[in-house]
This record gives sequence, C-alpha cells and structure tokens, in this order.
Amino acid sequence: MQRVRATTPSSPSSRAFPEMQSGHPEPIPENEETKSVEKKPESFVRQWSSRLRLEPSEWDILIASTCLKLLLFPAYRSTDFEVHRNWLAVTHTLPISKWYYDTTSEWTLDYPPFFAYFEKLMSIPAYFIDPRIVDLNNLNYDAWSVVAYQRSTVILTELVLGAVLLRFVRGAVNPTTQRIISASLFLHPGFLIVDHIHFQYNGFMYGILLWSILMAREDNKLASGFLFAVLLNFKHIYMYLAPAYFIYLLRSFCLSPSGALLPTRFISLANAVIGVFLVSLGPFLLMGQLPQLLSRLFPFTRGLNHAYWAPNVWALVTAADRVLLKVVKRGALAMSVNDAGVASTSRGFVGDTVFAVLPNVKPIHTFIITIAFQTIYLVKLWRAPTYKSFVTALTLCGWTSFMFGWHVHEKAILLVLVPLSLMAADNHAYFRTFMIASVAGVFSLFPLLFTPAETLVKVVYSALWAVFAFAPLHSRVYEFPRSLPFVIIDSLEKLYLAGFPVLQLFVTLFPMLTSSQSSASPSPGANAEVQVEAVKSDKLEPGMSALEFLPLMLTSVYCAVGLVWAFLRLSVIYIRQQY
Amino acid sequence: MYGDYEAQRHWMELTIHLPMREWYKYDLQYWGLDYPPLTAGSWINASWFALDASRGIESPESKAYMRTTVLVFDSLVYLPALFLFVRTWHANRSARTQEVALLTLLLQPTLLLVDFGHFQYNSVMLGLTLFAMVCFARGHDLLGAVSFVLSLGFKQMALYYAPAIGSYLLGVTIASCRPRHFVRLAVVTAASMLILFLPFLPPFAPLSAILDPITRIFPFNRGLFEDKVANFCGWRVRLQTRKDDDARAGVVAAREPAPTLPLLPYALLTSSLSFFLFSFQVHEKTILLPLLPLTLLLSGVTSTEMSETWEIGMLVSNVALFSMWPLLKRDGLGVSYIAMTVLWNRIVGYNPFRARPNSLIQYLSLVTHAGCLVLHVLELLFSPPARYPDLFPVLNVLLSTPVFGLAWLWSIRRGVEVSWALGGLGPSSGSGTVPNTPTHHKATVSRSENGDVGEASGAAPLGIGRETGARAVSLGYAQGRRRLAHSRRTGSISSVLSAGSHHEFEQK
Repeated sequence: MQRVRATTPSSPSSRAFPEMQSGHPEPIPENEETKSVEKKPESFVRQWSSRLRLEPSEWDILIASTCLKLLLFPAYRSTDFEVHRNWLAVTHTLPISKWYYDTTSEWTLDYPPFFAYFEKLMSIPAYFIDPRIVDLNNLNYDAWSVVAYQRSTVILTELVLGAVLLRFVRGAVNPTTQRIISASLFLHPGFLIVDHIHFQYNGFMYGILLWSILMAREDNKLASGFLFAVLLNFKHIYMYLAPAYFIYLLRSFCLSPSGALLPTRFISLANAVIGVFLVSLGPFLLMGQLPQLLSRLFPFTRGLNHAYWAPNVWALVTAADRVLLKVVKRGALAMSVNDAGVASTSRGFVGDTVFAVLPNVKPIHTFIITIAFQTIYLVKLWRAPTYKSFVTALTLCGWTSFMFGWHVHEKAILLVLVPLSLMAADNHAYFRTFMIASVAGVFSLFPLLFTPAETLVKVVYSALWAVFAFAPLHSRVYEFPRSLPFVIIDSLEKLYLAGFPVLQLFVTLFPMLTSSQSSASPSPGANAEVQVEAVKSDKLEPGMSALEFLPLMLTSVYCAVGLVWAFLRLSVIYIRQQY
Repeated sequence: MYGDYEAQRHWMELTIHLPMREWYKYDLQYWGLDYPPLTAGSWINASWFALDASRGIESPESKAYMRTTVLVFDSLVYLPALFLFVRTWHANRSARTQEVALLTLLLQPTLLLVDFGHFQYNSVMLGLTLFAMVCFARGHDLLGAVSFVLSLGFKQMALYYAPAIGSYLLGVTIASCRPRHFVRLAVVTAASMLILFLPFLPPFAPLSAILDPITRIFPFNRGLFEDKVANFCGWRVRLQTRKDDDARAGVVAAREPAPTLPLLPYALLTSSLSFFLFSFQVHEKTILLPLLPLTLLLSGVTSTEMSETWEIGMLVSNVALFSMWPLLKRDGLGVSYIAMTVLWNRIVGYNPFRARPNSLIQYLSLVTHAGCLVLHVLELLFSPPARYPDLFPVLNVLLSTPVFGLAWLWSIRRGVEVSWALGGLGPSSGSGTVPNTPTHHKATVSRSENGDVGEASGAAPLGIGRETGARAVSLGYAQGRRRLAHSRRTGSISSVLSAGSHHEFEQK
C-alpha cells in the first residue's frame, strides 16, 4: 500500500470514494518513515526486501511446513500427478500448434494457455533432470526423479502464496490477527490434501488470486483486474468469481460515485484485460484453434454430480431422491418412478445422475439458479462497492457456483474457503461461518485420499490445524448469543460440529465391519479400494450392494448440510450488513 | 531383498503360528527370529501373516497396519516415558523449559527415521529404559530394575546400558549399606528375567531349548561387521574386549556414593558409546542407544546458553544422523532425512554455520558439518569409481567415527567432572580436571554475552542461563537434592553448587 501511495500520491482512485476509507481504515503507523525512504531511486528493491524479510516465527512456519511437505513426497498421488506429467511431456515435445490436439494420453491438456506455458517452463529443467519425464509416450512414469521433481515444483510455486500472505500481514489494520489468518491459509489442510498429496498447483494459483485481492485492498484496482485476468488464463474455474470482479471493478474503478463513466480508467482496464487474453489466446486465435481449445476447456458432456458428490445442494437433492425412492417402493407414496433413475441409484455414485422420483435437472437449470442467486449479491455489491463488501461478494459468488453448479468438483470448495478466511476475524458471525464452512469443506476433501496410510495424516493434520487456527481467532471475536433463537442456533451448530469426529469414526470403521460380515472380501482395506476403484473408473460392479457407498454418501450429505447452512448464513449476514 | 520391515512382519507371522518353543528354531535362513521373547510376544492377529505363504507381502493395508503398531507402541510406552522423564528430572525447571525439553526429546530425528522410516520398534526398548531412569529418580529402585529387565527382554541391545545401570544400583546399595536392598534387587531382577524366559525353561521345554533363544539373540557366528559400521572395528584400529569397557564405565558410576543419580545419563552415554565403538558385530542403528542419554542431556540445556553440552550434543546428534545416511539412502528415505535434519535443527535452534565460531568445539562442529555437506554433494554429483563401490559409505564412517570417539572421551571427562562436583572422587582423580571447569564456565558466560542468543525459536528467557555454573549437574539436580535430604552428604553438594555459581558470578 505504501508503494502505491508514494508513487501516486494523488491517485484519483483513492479520492473517488471517501466512504471507502471508513469501511477500510488505512494503516498509517509506520508510513512517515517508509515514505521518506521510498523517494530514493533504489527504494523499490529495498521495499520488497523489507516486506519479504521474515520474522523468526514466519521462518518457523515456512521451514516446518516445507519439511512436512518433503516428508509427504512418497505419499499417495492421484491420477492428477500423471495428468501434469503428461502435460509436461506434451508442452515439451510438441509444437504449440499441437498442444490442444494431442491425444496420446487420455489426460489431454484441458487448462487455459497460461497453464500450458507454465508447464512448458517447468518442462525445461525437467528435461535436464531426467529426459524420460518429458517423453510423450512414457505413460504412467513414476520413477523417483519425476515424483521428487513434480512435488518440488508444487512446493516452490506455492511460495507465491506465502509471499502474498506476508504482504497481507505487512499492510494490515491488525497485523496480529492477519498473521494468524495468513498462517492458517498457508498451512491450510485443503492445500496439503489437494496439492501436496493428491497433487495439483492450487497453492500457486490461489497465491495469484490473493495477490489480486491484495491489490484491491491496496486500492490498485487496475493491477487487481490484470492479475485476475492472468489467473483466469491459468485455470478457468476462477470464472465462478468473475461476476463479482466485473461488478466491483466496473462500479468502483470505472464509474464515478455519481454513476458517470470515467473513460480513461475504463479503457486502461479494458486494455489490460484484453492484452492478457491476447497474450494467452492470441497464438491459438491466429492458428484458428480457438474452437478446439474451448471444447477442451468446457466439456459439457459430464453429469450433474461428480463421481463423489460434491457437498452442495445437488448432493442433498440426490440423497432426498434416493430416500424417496425407497419410500415409493414400499408403497407408502404414490409417485411415478423413472426407470433410468432406478438404474442410476443401483449404481451408487457412478456415472451421471438421473433422479428416480424428483424431476430431472438440466445444465440450464443450474445455470439459471446460479445467476439468480449471484444477482442478489451483485446488486448489494453495486450499492456498496467497498473492499470488505467485495471480498464477501466474491466468496458468495464462488459459493453460489459451488452450491448450484453443474458437475462441481469437491476441490472447488477452496474457492470459498480461501476468500472466506480473509474475513474470519471481522466479527463473531463471520468467524462462525468460517468455522463451519472450513470444517465441513476440509472434511469433504477427505475422500480424495482413500489410502489407509494417508488417513492418519489428513485427520491428524486437519485436527491440529483446526485447533491452531480456530482457538486464537475465537478468543478474539467471541460474542455471547443474545436472544433465544440465537442460543438455539448456536447450540445446533456446536452439535453439528461435534458430529464430525463421530462421522470420521463411522467412515473408518464401517468398511471393517461390513467386510467381517461378508467373508468373500479378503481384508477391510481391499474393500475400500474396490469401492473407490468402482467410483473412479465408472465401471458397473454387479455384486456391489448400495451399502458400500454409504460412508461416502453420508460424508457428502453431512458436509453438504453444513455448507448449505453456512452459505445461507453468510448470505443473510452480507445482505443485512451496513457498509 | 527385503529389509527390517519384512523381518518384523515375518516374526509376527512366526509368533502367531508356531508354538512358543519353536519360535527361535524355524527356518533360520529367512530372517530367523533374533529378538528376546518380549518382542516376540507382542503381536496382534491379522490375516497378513499366513505362515510361509505371506513372505514379502507389502499391500498398502498391511503396511498401514504395521506402521500403526509402531505408532501405538510408541505412544503407549515411549511418550509416557518421555513425559514422566521431563516431569521428574526437570522438575525444578520452568514449564516452558520442560515443554522445550519434551519437544527436543520427541523429535529426535534419528529415532524417528529408524522407527517410522526404516521400520523398527526401538522406541519401546528405549522407553522402558527411560521408565527405569524415572523410577530411579523417584526412588523406586525395584520398579526401575524390573523396567530395565523388560527393556532387555524386548531387545537385547539394552545390554549396552547394563553396566551403567548395574553399577548405579550397586552403588546405591553399597552407599546406603543396605544389604537387604541389594538382595531384593537381585531377586526381583532374576525373577523377572526368569518369567520372561519361562516358556523356554525345563518344565515347559527340554533344557536344550533355552540354547535356541540364546544363540539366536547373541549371534556371535555372524560376521564382524553388519555392514559398514562407524566404529573402531571399521577403522581396524584395535579390538578391545567388552570387559575393559564394562570396567571403565563401571568405574565412573560405581565408585560414587549414593547420590549418583546426576551421573546416570553420563554413565549410560559412556557405557553405550563404549559398546558402540569397540564391541563385536555392531549395527549402525545401535547409535540410537548412545543417542538417548545424549538427547536427555541436550534436553536439559537450551541453545541460548551455548554450553559445551549443547555444542557437543548437537554435533554428535547430527553426525549420528549423518552416519545413518547409507542405510536411509538404501531405504529411499533421502528426502525424509534432509527434512528431518533441517526441521530438528530449526526446532531446537541450532545452526553450526551461523554463529562465528569462538571455541574449539564450534570450529570442530563447523568443519564436521561442512565435511558432511561436502560428502553429500560429492555423492550427488559423482558416482563412486568402479574400484571402490563403497567409497562414500567408507568416507562417511571415517568422518563419523572420530566424532563419536570424541563424544566418548567427552562423556568420560564429563562423568569425572560431575562426580567431582558431587564431591565423590578423591583429589587424586579429580585434580586433572579441576582447571578445565572454571575456564569452561568463563567461556560460556562470555559467549552468552555476545548477543547470538535471541535467535533461537524456542528462545528461553535469559534468566535460565543464570544457572550455567551449576550446569555440571543440570540434569537431576533437583532430584539429587531431594534424595540427598535423607543422606549424609547434603551439605557437600549444595556447597559445591553454590560455590560453583558464586565463583562464576565473580568472574563475570
């Protein structure tokens, strides 16, 4: 923030909205000193180095977490690992014109071009470490060299997240609280599970997202928009957040408070965004490959639910359908039953979902519902375009898409949890929402890791994280519930949270109990493996009973209840909040 | 072939399916059972241990199960033992120091890597020995003796401690002039040993059956080296007999009067290091035994004090980890090795490369650590020449052994110093070390004034450094005093302590 202030002391954007200052009081304590330093030419370098200078506690967190991640090198890795290895090979061996056409592996390139460039960049050192990593036909290569290399790139690129979180602390209103939040984000079990065990590059990309949000906080909205455009070209899932960005930037950057368009700003922002997209998509545009690229990015051939139901509204609806079907079959209710739906239920989690009793859902329905909900928040954001309001609207936009989207993946919950964390310490209402959403969201990620060895790691690490993140924040913002309804809600929420250990116990013990009853399956663990195999490979296992999927179904539904509740909670808080 | 993981799994297989008396006889070519009965008895039934059929099985579930057993035993035996140790031996230290000590002990990287990475159950054996130490410190000698016998019964490696513990108990009985105590100790020890080996003894088995466990447990028919071991045998300097070492370690401990408790860690260290350096058929993992008392000593000091114990302890601990490198590398634990080394040094706040070295030991540790790094880099960059395929392990041994030898000498000197501080040794043997002590204190004090202190993560308040002069008996200081209340020598120890710290403050 200081840099922006110092270089453009009369930046019009900071004067445009006086009310913004009240919504987001500027931290000025050490400004006098730094300003005088910054006037010197070499100040930029020094400023960055001073901002990134770590305190001992920050070193501790960095070293401890890096060591833990190193220890997780040999842990379970999903097919995403091979996906990314294949992309290294594709971008290294093939010319750019064939990137989005290659089908050597089933894991074709389906991320936007910036990610492809990023993979190209990483494939260069990979070639020198072990040429077989980037061999296109060397499918399912899993030598130690490739494991160590790819895992290290995740750790290294995640430093972007660390640096941005540090800058969040440096300019914060309340650095102590922000430090807790930053640490909790850097050590988030979601990143550990999805990035460092399951394997993806979320830490890196959420680093860019937070950087963009940081720029919004520091009133550098041009940079914010630019960075978000860059992020979109890394991974298009961030489109879920785009409406909030669009409205916020348009209202608070391109329009004056009275509603008049500020042409210079609008054009500069538009140029920046268009420029980013040109750099990203330009080559493919010139080669006429845009349709092919888009068909890779947006495959509309998938079902409503992912193999494992993401904990959203559709998980609840699907579960309700299953229950209703049981009721109808017993003859208690007279409703028409869709045969395709019955077949769909007998296959448990597999394939696309067809409802047996309830009316079926089409992509257009989910789209309309999502837009409808988002509109509510966007109207509110339009009326109160402050930073805090923006972060909340951003969270809610992502959350709406997660709740009602078509074929949502459970990993997308990070899209909610990360911006939500930024507001965790604002007051007790936000904190409670954050807590419920984090617990339910992280728990819903657990089925990603189904191997027995990682079970302990994910459970213990998440529990430790929860203790160390929630306890200090809770002590800072706690408020006693003041009226009877609030007391009841408070107790119910506590009861809900207390259910998670029980659920985890059930999920762990259930396969063992069922396997001891049926002597056919050799061991408790093998059972779980078959189950997951069936889920993963979309194959019909004729002999499997629906009970096999009970733990997964329960996890999904229980987490969905919490996430839907937290979603409604935050919506109400946001709509009623005075900015 | 398979490593220790398969060995332990196979033993589970054996112990489930065979009657007890055949445990030590079955198919010795394939990882014959060579641990004492307590290890052999501790398994739970599961389906991964079908006799003969299950050899080499390594499914994810059976792996998870085996690893869980380590974790369970670790938390059942080792963790409570550590906790009790910190509570008993550091009873007069602040809660914060106790927490730091617990963390230091808990995260000893070598033990973690061997138990959880390489796969063994060492923590159980070490935990039982620790229980024995806690019992001694609380005055329950009998309980301590039983606990130590259990430790021996779990893994015969605990014999390395036997001279020290034996001399300690002997010293207690001699000094207190209670022959009945001695008899009780002897009876309890013998009885618990007997119960452990009962299934192999005459009423239950022919007399010859007892020979099977013994020949398996003490494999004198194996080669001199298990692999490349960082001991003096590796150097081919000379082979000392066990009796020499027994005597030497015994001298330090047994000549003491009753309040020899503060000496116990040093005696344990000397005794186990002697075995490690000089005895027959030593495995590199055996360094875990000297590491336990060393870590106990380390837990008593913090990085802010920059004491000699701290410097030597950290140096030896790191070098011990380094000496395990060939083993860990073979197990594919290279990355874990790096991570654990960095993590531990960070957590305890040790950095051999940061502080400007201003003592011989700090120079030494700088050079040693640099040597370790250089060796690692060389090994990474170059493959060994064809004529010497074992070049790097041999270099590793050549680098580690002198450090261990130094630690051995240091622990003997330290033992003598502490016993002198306790007023036990006569002037004849104490006189050689008297000049050392004050100079060392002087150096310590001046060093802690240099301002390197605040950097450590677990930076303890500086006030703790006040006691540096009494650090000679840092461990067990309170306990020693409590026990002494009933003893004749109360006056002498407190006068020594107060004189020491008084002396130091004058110099400062």
